[in-house]
Order: sequence, then C-alpha cells, then structure tokens
Amino acid sequence: MQVIIDNKPYEVQEGMTIEQACMQAGIRIPTLCNLKDVSSNASCGICVVEVKGAKSLLRSCITKVTDGMEITTNNARILRARKMNVELLLANHPLDCQTCERNQRCELQQITYEFGIDQRRLPRTRPKQLERDYSSLSLIRDPEKCILCGRCVAVCKEVQTVSAIDFAGRGQKSKISTFMDMGLGMVDCTNCGQCALVCPTGAIIEKSHVSQIWEAIHDPKKVVVVQTAPAIRVGIGEEMGMPMGSLVTGKMVAGLRRLGFSKVFDTNFTADLTIIEEGNELISRIQNNGTLPMITSCSPGWIKFIEHFFPKSLPHLSTCKSPQQMFGAIAKTYYAEQAGIDPRDMVVVSVMPCTAKKYEAKRPEMDGAFDYWKKKMKLTAEDRFFDVDYVLTTRELGRMFKEVGIDFKSLPTEDFDNPLGTSTGAAVIFGATGGVMEAALRTAYEILTGDTLKDVNLKAVRGMDGIREADININGTILKVAVAHTLKNARILLEQIENGTSPYAFIEVMSCPGGCLGGGGQPIPTNTEIRMKRAESIYEEDSHKFIRKSHENPEIKYLYDNFLKKPLGALSHDLLHTKYVERKM
Amino acid sequence: MDTLTPYEVEEKVLDEIVGKYKGSPGVLLSTLEAVQEANPLKFLPQKTLLQVAKKLNVPATQVYSVATFYSFFNLKPQGKHTIVVCRGTACHTKGSRELLNSVGQILGFRYEFDETEPSYTTPDNEFTIRTVACFGQCAQAPVVAVDGVIHSNVNAPKLLKILKKVKSSSYAKNQSK
Repeated sequence: MQVIIDNKPYEVQEGMTIEQACMQAGIRIPTLCNLKDVSSNASCGICVVEVKGAKSLLRSCITKVTDGMEITTNNARILRARKMNVELLLANHPLDCQTCERNQRCELQQITYEFGIDQRRLPRTRPKQLERDYSSLSLIRDPEKCILCGRCVAVCKEVQTVSAIDFAGRGQKSKISTFMDMGLGMVDCTNCGQCALVCPTGAIIEKSHVSQIWEAIHDPKKVVVVQTAPAIRVGIGEEMGMPMGSLVTGKMVAGLRRLGFSKVFDTNFTADLTIIEEGNELISRIQNNGTLPMITSCSPGWIKFIEHFFPKSLPHLSTCKSPQQMFGAIAKTYYAEQAGIDPRDMVVVSVMPCTAKKYEAKRPEMDGAFDYWKKKMKLTAEDRFFDVDYVLTTRELGRMFKEVGIDFKSLPTEDFDNPLGTSTGAAVIFGATGGVMEAALRTAYEILTGDTLKDVNLKAVRGMDGIREADININGTILKVAVAHTLKNARILLEQIENGTSPYAFIEVMSCPGGCLGGGGQPIPTNTEIRMKRAESIYEEDSHKFIRKSHENPEIKYLYDNFLKKPLGALSHDLLHTKYVERKM
Repeated sequence: MDTLTPYEVEEKVLDEIVGKYKGSPGVLLSTLEAVQEANPLKFLPQKTLLQVAKKLNVPATQVYSVATFYSFFNLKPQGKHTIVVCRGTACHTKGSRELLNSVGQILGFRYEFDETEPSYTTPDNEFTIRTVACFGQCAQAPVVAVDGVIHSNVNAPKLLKILKKVKSSSYAKNQSK
C-alpha cells in the first residue's frame, strides 16, 4: 500500500496508523497521550495531521492509513492546532517546573519548549485547586499536574487489571480519581507504579526517601548499609545517560560507596537465600501433600493484588519473604552480630526497581530483626525498628548520584562488600521475568535428583510472552511449572487455580511487564524495546558468573552452618518467612 | 433528624435489580438508575456502589466513574422535592441566575450560587436545588422544573407562587406525621 507523506511516496503496511507510517518515514509526530502497548485513547489532540479530502484535521494516532492517502504533517494550520491544544493543557497546569520531580524529564515541558510556547496565554478554567494525595506509602498523586491523557488509567486497567484509578467527573471537573476519591493508600492499588512510569508529567511520582537517607548517611552514629536489587544494575546506567540496558554492576557499587554508604551489599545474596528457602518449601509441599501450585512471593505488588482480589488463594503463596525483606532481617541480626553493630544504629537502605517495595518495607509484620533482639537486648516498643528502613527507586538513586556530582560513566568498577555481597548467577536473573523460576529449578532439580544439571540455562521459562510454561523431568516425574508477568496474566493463572483447572505445581508471578527490570521504579521511559535490552544484560551477567546455582553460594552455606542451621528451620521461620492477610477496600 | 441518616437499598432489592438487567447492554447504567430510584433519598451511597460493583463484576472505580460522569446520579442524599433551574443560554439571558438566587430567599435559607457545586440540599432535607445546562424549552425561557413538572416563563412572583405551594404541602405532611 502506498501513501504520500509531505509530498513523498512511501510503501506502508495495511492496518498501520498514520502516526506509525510517519514514524517509518522518519517523522516523529508529537503526542502526550498515545503510548505503544499502553494507551491509544486519542485524548490530547496534539498528533493531528492533515489528510487530503478530510474536512478537519485527523488524529494520526488512531487513524489508519488507506491506499493513496495524502498526508501533510507540517503546515500553518497543523502547527497552530497542535500549539493551541498544548496551550489549553497549560491553562490549568502549574508552571512550577523547577520544583517538580519530573523537571527536565517531563513530556509536557519538552513539547512546550519544542513548540516555542513562551508564555501562558490562556486563563485557568478549573475553578478548584485539586489536592495532592499523599495517602499511599509508595506513590504521590498531584491532580493539578494531570493532563488527563489516560495512560495511567489504561495501564492500571488493561495491563494490570487492577483499576485502582479511573476518570471521574465530567467537563471542567474531570479528573483521575480513586473510588470515592479515597486516596491511593486506602483503595485496592497494588503500588506497582506502572502509572508513574507512563505518566507524561509529574502527576504521579514515587514517595521519595532521599532526604531521610542523606540524613542517616550524614549521622555519625548510624551505620548505613545498602542493598541493590538485581534489576538496578541494568537500569541505573540509563538514568545516568548511558545506552539502554547498560550493565553497570561495578560502577553502581563504586558510585554507592562514594555516596557514603558504610557497606555496599547485594540483594542477590538474599535472592540466593530465597531460592534455598523457597526451593525447600516447594519440595516439602510436594512430598507432604501441601497446597499446590505454590506461587512465588517476591513481588510486593503481586502480594497486595492477591490479598485484595483472590484472598481464597493466599495458601498458594510461598511463605518466603521477598529478597529485600530477607536482606533486612539478616543484615540486622546475623550481620549486626558478626560486625558488632547495635541493630538500632543500623540503617538498611534498599535500591529497588519498584515502588511497591516502599510499601512492603512498612508492612507492620516486617520487623523480624526487632523481634529477634527484643529479648536478648531487653528492647521496648519504643525501640522498634523495621528490617528495611528506606527504599530508593532507580530514579531516586540516579538523582542522588547527580546531586553530589558523580561522573558515573567514568567510575571504576568495584566489587560488593562481604559477606552479604556474594551471589550467584541464579540470583541476578531474579531481575527478569522467569528468573526466579529458573533459579529455583536449578536448585530444586539438583536437590531432588542428586544429579548435576548439564545445562543450567532453562530457556523455556525465559522471554517476554505473557504466560510461559515448562515441563521439568525429575527422575521420571513431570513437574509442570508456569511463569506470568503483569497482573493481568497472573489473574488468568489464579482463575485457573480457583476453578480447579490449574495443572501446575509451581508458578512464578511478577507484577510488572518484563519482571523487575520493567518495574515502576525504573528509568523513564521503559518500553518493550528497553525491557528486552535490560533482560539481555541480566542474562549476560548470569552467563559470566562463576557460580550459577544458589545452593553453591559459599556465603549462603556459611550462613546456614553458623546461624540459620537449616532451611525452613526455627530461625528461618522467624526471620525469613511471613504471612498474608485478606484485604478489603 | 432521621431523614438524614444515609439509607441503603436492601441487598434483596439490589439482587432483583441486578438480576433484571444482567447481560443486557449498558447494564451498569440501567442498574445504577434503578438502584437510585429504589433509594428513598434518591442517591447512591458508597456501600451501594461497592455492592453494585461486586455483583456486576465491574471495578468499583469504574462504577464511581460512571456515577460521577452523569449529572443524573446523586452521591449525596436528595431532598424530598427537587427544583431544577435551567442555566442554558436562553434562560440565562432571561434572568435564570436571579431566579436561582430567589429560590433560596423564598425557601428561607442562605444560598450562595456557586458554579462548582452541582446541587444543594437544604439542611432539613426537604429541597434539593440544582441546575441543568438546557431543558430544550428555550422558547419558554426561563424554565424551572419542580418535582419533574416544567414551569415556563417563570418570573419571581410566579416562582414564589409555585414554591409556596410545594412548601406548604411539604410542611403540612410533616406536621401530620
């Protein structure tokens, strides 16, 4: 099929939108609402183009090309209309860019600049000042900055099937709202943060812990240790201006040391620990007729999702805490003891690709280390501390690096500190969808069969398909497993469980598209192409690791020999396992 | 005053309504309409919205979205009598704003006209005053609807007469209780 774009003929495919055809022809059509794989509700009206024969300008994001279509993307009428639509948005948008979280990374700011708009020409039309919503532990919503593009609504409804937010009201009073305007922290929001990732402005941002962390670092009495999730090493480079998916483990460690953290540890260490506990839990469930399928519990958005929407299925969840929480509990017990640090003076910071981790760290039951010390140190309720004190997203960490002028690209590569920095290839792949499954199978297979795996790469569970399944032959018995990412796909597997048709023994669920590497705390933009690049880097790091199975991690063996004693033991139960609750709205 | 306690439609009635509309197109709209009608205070309390969401298997936020989009739906208890003043262009030029303010004066309460509030209900729950963009009765402007009956060419004396009648019947009923 042929179309004419700005007087030049182009070969295009049937079914393409005008916007896609233009992109192929090297013309980027500006937009604030259209986002590949997320939303195409044509609300902003900025992508308009002229089509010969059409009376009005057409929105290129939803208009399909037809044979012989003559498209103009640049004339006075088009530019005037686009500019007017941006000016209408600016009428109600605050002009306080300097103090906005998304300053210099805001799509509205960018388009305003590109269109040469140098003043607010149109008066405000919204009668009321809309209040910010601070009720969530993970996210802050500022409806004043919202341009009603609908991306967050689409991602919450279509990708996650959560629908915590939707349009409310009409006309001038339209806004994005939760049920009864109750605040994000009061409804069935899972805190996944995908809304923050797709928001073109600063209307949804993470709740920052940066200032509290600086305060702790600068407090000479505090010992501030940091853990980094597997997905940070493939994301933080982007935040610091490097190509997408750059693998920057060593630079990240060097940078964190320069920020002033006492010890730079790796969440991968407790990812390995998770595999030992979770692998043994799975084996125990299989051998003792326990509840199957067992489902992974690393992703806190997923945990809140099942607590809200499928409480009957809670017994299917592994009781293992997530690696972040296991780390906090081990750091403030085992490591504090070993290093002679008063756990009350230790501050555990985690860097996560995730906004839901901020919520998870503040779940009331996440104070295992305090319980551990309570009797030994005669602590009172006033001494109570959480296992993990503060959580940073990848974006916040990038901001801290920039604040102190770290030239990230020229940093040397450094290694994590011991003992909580030693990890295997099985741990790093936790960052990609399917990784926990693969890591667990590497260990479970060897424990159950007593054989050594010939090929540790279990490619059947890798990739970006929404749901993937595999049959694992263990001594002639077939173990059926499945992997799902996004809550929409998790819902499908849960519905199977609830109607009794689930054929699986073990299921991995990650809330975000692509797994943690596509988490709500990762650099903006995060899209399909970028997620693929980050996944490549994750598997590359795994392939270069000398040890690639969690049960072979020497520091984990040492931890069991000298502290935990055995998997699923009494101390594991207290520090590494948790319970779940039914949540209503 | 007992009339002000939020009143929720009983589960049984809800089930009947949901059963009637389930499967038909626009089920959410028809259900909400019928449920609001079944409520003596003609509104949709929070609990009812949640119940409707659950019974229709629709996200609660979506129910809220629909309920706030259409001005027909009320999220607050409505008065026994509803007075709707048309604020369309024709009625505006014929003085509907003054009529709106007169409503408050006649009914004996302070009512500051505020474009941002869709409706106002008197503290005794007797009257709800709201505006509408246009009734389509522009030839007879200005237009005021009282309990569903449209009165045309309304001026202050005529309004006084209409409202006096409603008011006396309303309070007479209260007295006889």
